[in-house]
Amino acid sequence: MSYKIPMGPYHPALEEPYKLDMICDGETVSDAKLHIGFNFRGIEHLAETRNYIQVIALMERVCGICSNIHTLTLCQAMEKLTGIEPPLRALYIRVVMAELERLHSHVLWAGIAAKLMGFKTMFMTCFALREKVMDVLQAISGNRVNYSMNRIGGVNRDIEDPLALLSMVEELEREMVHTIIPIFTTSTTATLRCAGIGILTNEKAISCGVVGPTARASGVPQDLRRAAPYAAYSEMEFDVPVEKAGDVRARLLVRALEIMQSCRILRQALTKMPSGEFNTGDGKIVFSTGTATSRVEAPRGEVVYSVSWKENSRNPARVHVRTPTFQNMPAIRWMVIGARLADTPLIQASIDPCYSCTDR
Amino acid sequence: MTVIDNIAERLGINNVQTDSSGVQWFDIGHRSVRELATAMKACRARFVTITATELPGNDGLRLDYLWDLTGQLLGFSFHLDTNSIESIFDICEATDWIEREVHEGFAVDFVGRAYEPLLLREGNNLGVNLREEIR
Repeated sequence: MSYKIPMGPYHPALEEPYKLDMICDGETVSDAKLHIGFNFRGIEHLAETRNYIQVIALMERVCGICSNIHTLTLCQAMEKLTGIEPPLRALYIRVVMAELERLHSHVLWAGIAAKLMGFKTMFMTCFALREKVMDVLQAISGNRVNYSMNRIGGVNRDIEDPLALLSMVEELEREMVHTIIPIFTTSTTATLRCAGIGILTNEKAISCGVVGPTARASGVPQDLRRAAPYAAYSEMEFDVPVEKAGDVRARLLVRALEIMQSCRILRQALTKMPSGEFNTGDGKIVFSTGTATSRVEAPRGEVVYSVSWKENSRNPARVHVRTPTFQNMPAIRWMVIGARLADTPLIQASIDPCYSCTDR
Repeated sequence: MTVIDNIAERLGINNVQTDSSGVQWFDIGHRSVRELATAMKACRARFVTITATELPGNDGLRLDYLWDLTGQLLGFSFHLDTNSIESIFDICEATDWIEREVHEGFAVDFVGRAYEPLLLREGNNLGVNLREEIR
């Protein structure tokens, strides 16, 4: 006999509200439907009522985890419409902020995954480490969530002594290498809970157009930092970790390896940071009529902004945001079909979903 | 011959413009969205998104379809006089949610597919992005 089990919109396994209706045969999920929209705030609409300074502050609030990525993507699009090129130092600072944000997002996710595995000691360890990443972000920007770093033509604050941050980054890397990564990659608890569940095949990953670590864990080697470099990524050396298994463990491994690559990029960006200005100053900003598209590799995958402007207008005519979770979430249906009901909280969490981003 | 030239030749399109953000926009003429989606799928391009924009006055809507081919964005723009266009969901599964979102936000009918509520709840009106009171 089949029966329907709803998970959400309010459920202990969900960090934010969404709903997964699962049809089960016994303990096995035979189909699922997803429902979103519980966090809809009409942000794309609000953007049309804000000027080019206010809209940056607004879009920073699309997501509480990757707030910097949203302003970076928006500012890149607005820079294309204004013809303003940020100085090289600003591009390096943007890389530092983006990689620190990736670190804190991946460690946050590791903590939540540990909690869903029933591994609460690991949850506390991850969150303690995340605090240290946020300390570095605070040291740079003065803020821990919404950093207000990006602006048209560069960044709002300089990193006055980049080499002073190196020791903090090295300490983070040491803890990642000695504590978090070995436990997630070698412990029996993590392996037994994650291996072979929530499989997204390579064909299905391509068909659903999934992005970020979810795609890379299913053998799709896409990463905008490599394929379409922005900021100063073309000057950084790094690898793009790819796993083929497509299960929860593969998604975990990809993120663990990406943490190492982020530390590698951070070391390069802080060591090689060029001197000079960090923004183009407060000159007049003139928008040309048209649409500009900008893309950034956020911690969860590709973020796309499409921004339209009319000449002499202070407000954008249209801001469209395509977030990575919006593209990844439909794939959850294929991951949970055939899974045990008890595994579904961890499976849905394995794409590192952000429902606020998705609903906007 | 570049990848873009190759695609343009395959589609029989002569005019390809690059915008300030590097997107290659193909002048689609009278080609249908399904024809272009089939061609994109054949060359293993990845679907990125659809951006709907309400045009000034009563000029209708513009739908911009974006695809990624090895890091290069390819764009196809459709002007809608009536609020309908063929769905490509059966050709490209990745378009499911964005077609549903554009349907709810701009009341566009993607012909040939069924809808379930995505962002809106049962009974809500379509066209939330077009409401006068919000504007």
